Amino acid sequence: MDFRRIEIIFLIVFVSLDVFLLLSFRNSQQIVTSSSTNTSTVSEMRKRDISFGKLDTKSGSAYYLGSKPNNNLVNNVGKLRDQEFQYDESTHKLTSSLNTPITITKSNRIKKLDTFMKRESNVLFGTQYKYVPQLSTSSQIVFAQTDETLGEIYDKTAQLTFNVSGDKVTGYTQTYVNDVMILHEKEATKSEKDIIINLYTNSEISNNSKITYANLAYTKLLEAKGSTIYIPVWFVTVQNKDSKVNSLKKVNAFTGNVIKSSTTGDDYSE
Amino acid sequence: MKFSRLVVQVLLVFAVVTSVVLSYFIWTNTARYQRGRNVDVTTTESDKNKIPINQVISPTQVIWQDGNDQKLIYNNEENISFSVQNVMSDWKFDHVTKIFKKDGARYQKTIQKHNDIQLVYPTAITVRTLGYLLNSSVLKHSTDYSFNRIIINLNNKKDKNIYLANDNNYAVYKVGVRDASAEPILKLAKKSNIDLKVRLNLMKHGVFTFYTEPIKMRTYSYVIDEKQDSEYTTSLFDANSDDLVTSQDGDVYTYNYSETKRLISDHDRGELTFYDYTDTSVPKNKVAFFQRGYNKAVNLQSSVSNLRLYDADFNDKDLVFREYVEGFPIFKKSQFGSIKIGFSRNGTTEHFLNKVLEVPVPSSNSETTLKSTTSILKGLDKAGYSVNDIQDIQAGYQWESESENQDVVDLTPTYYIKIDNHWRPYQEWTNESAEEG
Repeated sequence: MDFRRIEIIFLIVFVSLDVFLLLSFRNSQQIVTSSSTNTSTVSEMRKRDISFGKLDTKSGSAYYLGSKPNNNLVNNVGKLRDQEFQYDESTHKLTSSLNTPITITKSNRIKKLDTFMKRESNVLFGTQYKYVPQLSTSSQIVFAQTDETLGEIYDKTAQLTFNVSGDKVTGYTQTYVNDVMILHEKEATKSEKDIIINLYTNSEISNNSKITYANLAYTKLLEAKGSTIYIPVWFVTVQNKDSKVNSLKKVNAFTGNVIKSSTTGDDYSE
Repeated sequence: MKFSRLVVQVLLVFAVVTSVVLSYFIWTNTARYQRGRNVDVTTTESDKNKIPINQVISPTQVIWQDGNDQKLIYNNEENISFSVQNVMSDWKFDHVTKIFKKDGARYQKTIQKHNDIQLVYPTAITVRTLGYLLNSSVLKHSTDYSFNRIIINLNNKKDKNIYLANDNNYAVYKVGVRDASAEPILKLAKKSNIDLKVRLNLMKHGVFTFYTEPIKMRTYSYVIDEKQDSEYTTSLFDANSDDLVTSQDGDVYTYNYSETKRLISDHDRGELTFYDYTDTSVPKNKVAFFQRGYNKAVNLQSSVSNLRLYDADFNDKDLVFREYVEGFPIFKKSQFGSIKIGFSRNGTTEHFLNKVLEVPVPSSNSETTLKSTTSILKGLDKAGYSVNDIQDIQAGYQWESESENQDVVDLTPTYYIKIDNHWRPYQEWTNESAEEG
């Protein structure tokens, strides 16, 4: 009789041991499946009320580009009509004020400006620029120069900016690059997901915010030997959900390093 | 009564067996889990900002026999060699068999065969290393033959092999491939925008790439990064800088860390030497040898992806890395290339330079035309160096600092010749220019 009781006690002990082992086994299995650090960072970000769309994990490739300053704008100003302009020879920037300002509304402004700049007598090389909502504000509408094969350049050296006051566009400033050279064979760039995670781990994305834009474009790295060197950079706009204040973050797409915003403005120079 | 007792006993046995089985699973599984996690950590770390290993241990020359001529090809917008390796990483490889060995005549025929493309490594690697680079488990477990050329046939559809050739012993090996097509490779070759006619000649000291006609080469300029000693001490001594003992003798600075690690920096020459007396294990096989060499090299330099394995000697356990532009090596003033790593039972030694290429910039001179290799050999002969004295000859780039701009370096093409184990530019051996005209 005693032996039977021992058997039952043993059975209970072993069954509970089995239950415990089974639970710990399943636990370890779950850890294995979620061991990828990136997924856990992404879910951590979601937990902290950071919202973003689906992140692209594909990495692309890009070049080091170089370009020498040119006088194409000043050489072609004769083509412009109905505007008064100034040309700064050191920055190669054309500043123009329109004789008859363009009236715009919030909804039609891009369409109206797009048709305006397509005409050579209005804006030189206007067809080569593309609207960039990420860089535009309520008083400035920014268009970036775009190369068909290489992509967009988000930089003050290749930009068309319309000045808006109220419902009128009064004038614009323009810079232009040409003869862009490829300086080095193409190199892999970091994916959107990589750089968002980098920004987060560098505490550049605060809680309760929204990632509204993430675009890859060329921007100036430095000037050397009379040329400007451009590298691919991820431009990420982070919006605070409460205050709706936008902040623009930049990440070097080759290295994944966060570029601290310099005091001089948009230029990124090391 | 008896029946229920039997049930209890059966259940008890079952419970005991289950607990044993479950414990077994948990034990083996935890081990696997921990190992898996370690692998994960290392890959994410190396993924971060370092150049991948298959770009450092990579062929640097691509030679295409298009049916008429043999030519060295390059595409300055896309590295053909990387792209071909990408194509090959999807192939399935079978076992490796030796075809012949020490047969110079047959070897010459193999490397000059029509309609093929060959990828040439600057130094011999091994089959298992290739298996590791291309992630092929068959090659990883194959006989570890050495080779420095991969030859891929482009138009014989019946020949389902690629060939591995070794310049050192004139051996050729055959590797069966499945799920492979040469078409994407031919496409890459046709996209090349630089081609130079070459002839591969067997000489006393190995196979030399002869440029049969004068060659046009571009000049390059780079912004350089000159690193301070402190940047190296923080990365190499994983310790507090307070524990460092510094001494100075003229331009030579020495940093010691508790007699286990030492960094000597020569500010005049810009050369540094790092000794790690704690790292006394010597790599036992070649795959580990290449992997550890790579890890040490990228730890020292991780900027623009120009670094390539240039020379490896498994007997002496040392590796040399050099920077490349468009398939041609850069020669600096040092005799050891850019980085030299040595393993020994007394510790590891790392020689390196503090100036590295950082950002390419447009060059002021566009192109230079160099003489053909034959006229270079004639010039050397006139200066008293016979063909048999020449251990190696290569078209490469000379590193020249600009006097007015210290941050920029110009890379000008010239021939480099190795005689008596010394690499020197042609003009230093002969007092003549290597440029045509």
